[in-house]
Amino acid sequence: MRAYLRFELRRLARDPRLLLFTVLTPVVTYLIFSGVGLDGDRLEGVDAAVALMVGLAGYGAVAGVLSVGTSVSQERASGWLRQLRVTPLPAWQAVIAKALVCTLSGVPSVIAVGCAGRIQHHVELGAGRWAALLLLMWVGTVPFALLGLAIGYGLTPQLAQPVNFLAFLGLSVLGGLLVPVAYFPSVLRHLAHALPTYRFAELGWRSAAGLTPTPSGLAVLAAWTLAFTALATWAYRRSTTRR
Amino acid sequence: MDDTAVRLDGLTRRFGPVRAVDGLDLTIARGSTVALLGPNGAGKSTAISLMLGLDRPDSGTVSLFGRPPAEAVRAGRVGAMLQDAGWAPSATVREVVDLARALYPRAVQTDRILALAGLTERAGRRLDKLSGGEQQRARFAFALAGDPDLLVLDEPTAALDVAARQAFWAAIDRYTADGHTVLFSTHHLHEADEFADRVVVLAAGRVVADGPPAQIRALAGGRTVSFDVAGGPLDGLDALPGVRSVQVRGGRVALTTDDADATVLALAGTRGFQGLEVTAAALETAFLTLTATPTTRTATPTEH
Repeated sequence: MRAYLRFELRRLARDPRLLLFTVLTPVVTYLIFSGVGLDGDRLEGVDAAVALMVGLAGYGAVAGVLSVGTSVSQERASGWLRQLRVTPLPAWQAVIAKALVCTLSGVPSVIAVGCAGRIQHHVELGAGRWAALLLLMWVGTVPFALLGLAIGYGLTPQLAQPVNFLAFLGLSVLGGLLVPVAYFPSVLRHLAHALPTYRFAELGWRSAAGLTPTPSGLAVLAAWTLAFTALATWAYRRSTTRR
Repeated sequence: MDDTAVRLDGLTRRFGPVRAVDGLDLTIARGSTVALLGPNGAGKSTAISLMLGLDRPDSGTVSLFGRPPAEAVRAGRVGAMLQDAGWAPSATVREVVDLARALYPRAVQTDRILALAGLTERAGRRLDKLSGGEQQRARFAFALAGDPDLLVLDEPTAALDVAARQAFWAAIDRYTADGHTVLFSTHHLHEADEFADRVVVLAAGRVVADGPPAQIRALAGGRTVSFDVAGGPLDGLDALPGVRSVQVRGGRVALTTDDADATVLALAGTRGFQGLEVTAAALETAFLTLTATPTTRTATPTEH
């Protein structure tokens, strides 16, 4: 399994699109959004510059995680996954490795946007909070990795791309990753609180503030993780029983 | 028992009303090179999928080296080159070969694999930048990197040009020389003839002939006796001596026969003819005749 993981990571590092979506886009968006004079504003219990930093780091991370999961669709269509199934690599290990690679693909975004926040807005969190932020925003991508795999195993490449894009856009906008939910009408704000994207970013906001995750936040994330696990499992089973 | 690489017993797989594989029995001895020959739609790929455990039979059993296919695959005893198997994008030849080597318990050295597949010069290339023939050889390299006891190749030379095909068979030849078991499917009669020591002909999911290439050639051989229909009766032609099949096309009757002399004599004696022509059946035509016959022809009761 380590060999397969290494193989996948090497491919990931070579993918220029991923770098564009998970590093360049969120960093540039962050610099633009945070440059409009937010001085002193507070959002989500932290400075506006920090709140935006976490939101856009999460935005890039979700983009990367979902797109890597969705790319399974092409690997399936090309026959590569079928070819892997006639090697000694057990199927479950292939899936676990893929899920791990998915979550890791969100990490560059968090690091890049974090660096941008540090440099541009002198965001000072201290080593412990930075570490907690990075760790939680890595672990917090698990439900999105599962959603990406569900799309990748469940849909043809033609469908997987647009579905991935819609899921990503809907979840990140409605979850308040781009525009803070403080500016939302109350109905949408309540919706946001039920979404995994908001609760994922909340992990970051809370750790930037030096707080532990909220029980309600963890409960929402756990519920989505369970739902996406079920969906991904169903899609995976279906993909291996059909040709 | 222990020298059996593949054993299929009453294997059946339906897709809706179609029986893609229909009660297939097949035993392959270790160390042999077997061609699975048949036209498109004969069930070759389905049989291979079932054999590798990629698909489950509706009934019947598969065993590879005396155990279920999934176990044999897990143990690294099987390498396969699937039809149209693609690659993970952006990986290089060396990376996939190294991946295969890491996945199998006993791997061949990378340099040897690359040399065997004729890819030494291309090791650093990305797979999507290779020509069709090179990609196919890369699939071959991936399949044999773990030194599997059984190598299964599904239509390995489809979509290859003549030169690439020759290079490919040369590589297979080097591999089988080491006593490995190879099963390949093809719809090219001459490939089966030239590279296999046993040919299994499949049609409509069943074995219609099974034997050494020379015998299959003899079976498929025969002659074609053709003449103008010219208003004559068509019934009873298939009952003439030697006749294996009757085709009527463009106002002419074509009889495929094992004994052209007897057929012509009988024709002359019973109904007469116009524009008679006797030709050696082309291999491909004869092969079609063979696969169109529903009855099983076992060349010899060979147990390889």
